[in-house]
Amino acid sequence: MSLRSGLTATKCLQRQRVFPRNAFRTTYTAPNSNLESTIESPDDWHLMQENRARFKLLFDLFNQHGSTQTRKNTFQPHHTLSCPLAPSQTTLSALVAAGAHFGHTTSLMNSNFLPYAYGSRAGLTIIDLEQTLPLLRRAANLVRAVAQRNGTIIFVGTRPDLQNTIQRASERLGAQGYHIGERWLPGTLTNRNQLFQEKSQEYRLTPDLVVFLNPLANMNAIRECAIQHVPTVGIIDSNADPRIVMYPIPANDDSPRTAQIIAGVLSVAGKEGVKAREEGQKTQQNHAQRILIKQVLNGEGNV
Amino acid sequence: MATVGLKAFELFASRLSCRPPRLHVLALRSLTTTAATTPPPPNSRFVPPASLETMDEAQLEGDGFDVDRRSRRPRPESRRPVPPSPAFYTARSLYYDTLVQLQSALSLSRRALRAQHLLPLPPFALRALPPAQPAWANKAEMSLILQAPLTARMYKRVVMLLRELDQYERIARVADATELEDAITDITKGFESKKGIQARDTRIRAREVKERGPLDRYGRSYTVGRRKTSAARVWMIEVQKPKDSTSEPVANTTSILSSSNATTPPPPTSTVLINSVPISNYFPLPADREGVLRPLKLAGLLGAFNVFALVRGGGTSGQSGAIALAVAKGCVAHVPEVEPILKKAKLLRRDPRMVERKKTGLAKARKRYTWVKR
Repeated sequence: MSLRSGLTATKCLQRQRVFPRNAFRTTYTAPNSNLESTIESPDDWHLMQENRARFKLLFDLFNQHGSTQTRKNTFQPHHTLSCPLAPSQTTLSALVAAGAHFGHTTSLMNSNFLPYAYGSRAGLTIIDLEQTLPLLRRAANLVRAVAQRNGTIIFVGTRPDLQNTIQRASERLGAQGYHIGERWLPGTLTNRNQLFQEKSQEYRLTPDLVVFLNPLANMNAIRECAIQHVPTVGIIDSNADPRIVMYPIPANDDSPRTAQIIAGVLSVAGKEGVKAREEGQKTQQNHAQRILIKQVLNGEGNV
Repeated sequence: MATVGLKAFELFASRLSCRPPRLHVLALRSLTTTAATTPPPPNSRFVPPASLETMDEAQLEGDGFDVDRRSRRPRPESRRPVPPSPAFYTARSLYYDTLVQLQSALSLSRRALRAQHLLPLPPFALRALPPAQPAWANKAEMSLILQAPLTARMYKRVVMLLRELDQYERIARVADATELEDAITDITKGFESKKGIQARDTRIRAREVKERGPLDRYGRSYTVGRRKTSAARVWMIEVQKPKDSTSEPVANTTSILSSSNATTPPPPTSTVLINSVPISNYFPLPADREGVLRPLKLAGLLGAFNVFALVRGGGTSGQSGAIALAVAKGCVAHVPEVEPILKKAKLLRRDPRMVERKKTGLAKARKRYTWVKR
């Protein structure tokens, strides 16, 4: 038996080749170099930009081969915020994935919530999402109808993680959408003259619908809406009485993902209502114009 | 509250004269607080209050609602417009709208910088950015700009967003992305104030003074020293060494007769003037002279600097102590390496001892009157 020809003693005992001293990375070589590079003049900035652009070209070239899943066609966590589901597209699995079925501890369950509870597990009340979904769709229909009749809708979400949600939701409704993110000022509806002074006479202040993403923290607001006969929609958790709002949606109110789905669904429905209203107005205008034209033609024909 | 309610009532009263009494009650309901209304008649249809003001008199007149007529006629638009801002019901609409707009400006500029490969920025490039020099309005001024009383948390929120925008503006400026830089400047300049700009200029000047160093353009240091009620201002400048070649030793002569003094250069001499008078005339006591020159002695700079001092207030030893402190500070300004030596010798410390005041019931600051038994 003999050693393979390549594996001589001298070769095995040879030291590893040390990297040459001058082979460090600079802006001229790799895009993510951060060691010995320095930027002094605007030319260095341009060089850095060019280098990164070159790398990106290479990246894009190779990106065409390989996996077909891209950032655009896979689910990203921000999609519930930026491209929400339509009411008809909402599924049970989407709600379960968001954790909408988790209620609070069974000891804290409100007795009036029992019809919406599926059961309990691990000490938590599990919310029956098969009831949640039709109630969510009913609320969406309501929002659509209100928006179609030029109604104003306020989205109330007074937690820091709900700010983005309510802003986007109110944006989708255009001029008819409003949001309250920090605190519902007591007296917004019942003491409007003092709070808004001359604006209370200038604008139509009573909203046509208020959507609460965390109703338990906004009981004052719910009470004011009841006093002023404003219909309310709310996400009702297992420790809340579903009767406090007119259209309860039993779901987990502590989960931001659930709130995003629900607010997204309602705002998309509202957007549909606004669009339907605009189209209705357009058809009315076209109709009126056609009548006018006919009249003019008839008048000319007669003459 | 009463005056506002009255004013609103007057407004409506002027409109009431031509309205039927039914509308009078319903219109006032939106103004009053918690009005307990009578229950509606059993066969009437519920109409939400918001649209009541929009309904014509014709619709409300009559015994009941004419369903056919109502469904044929399109519901009229509200006479009053809806509130303009989406944050209207917060009663701080401009503040919340501004936050939303700043956040969207941030995300847009981030996207633009990413497209130009300027974000994410590697650490060496971050270090090369010019420093931030903000001139934001203070909390009171920002409250005026945003038309809402701001708490510290609300103000900080705005300033954090503005700082991030400012950072993107600096990145765009160094990398010559002028359009983006101008766009961001248009947004941020609305939040700067005159006071903020003044404060910023003061900071820049202070930083320049610090960076420039303690010596002026002629190489003089200007320092101040105080002791008891004396204050001294001292200018120190390095003694110029003469550059003639004749002073250097030409050749080593082995003759015993030649004295060693001829070859060695003369020791350096410096002038110390106090109130334009030489030190020996101003301080007749050797102790005071020693005090003034002690910092130079300890630092080994005895002939190195010419000293010019202006002193006033106090007496001889107070003035001597004040000049000594100023001279010590001047040595540190010229030669920073001697600072630990002078610090250890406690020559850089302003002596805080001052004449203690006389107190009532005592003859002097501490001296008590003779104790009498009876």
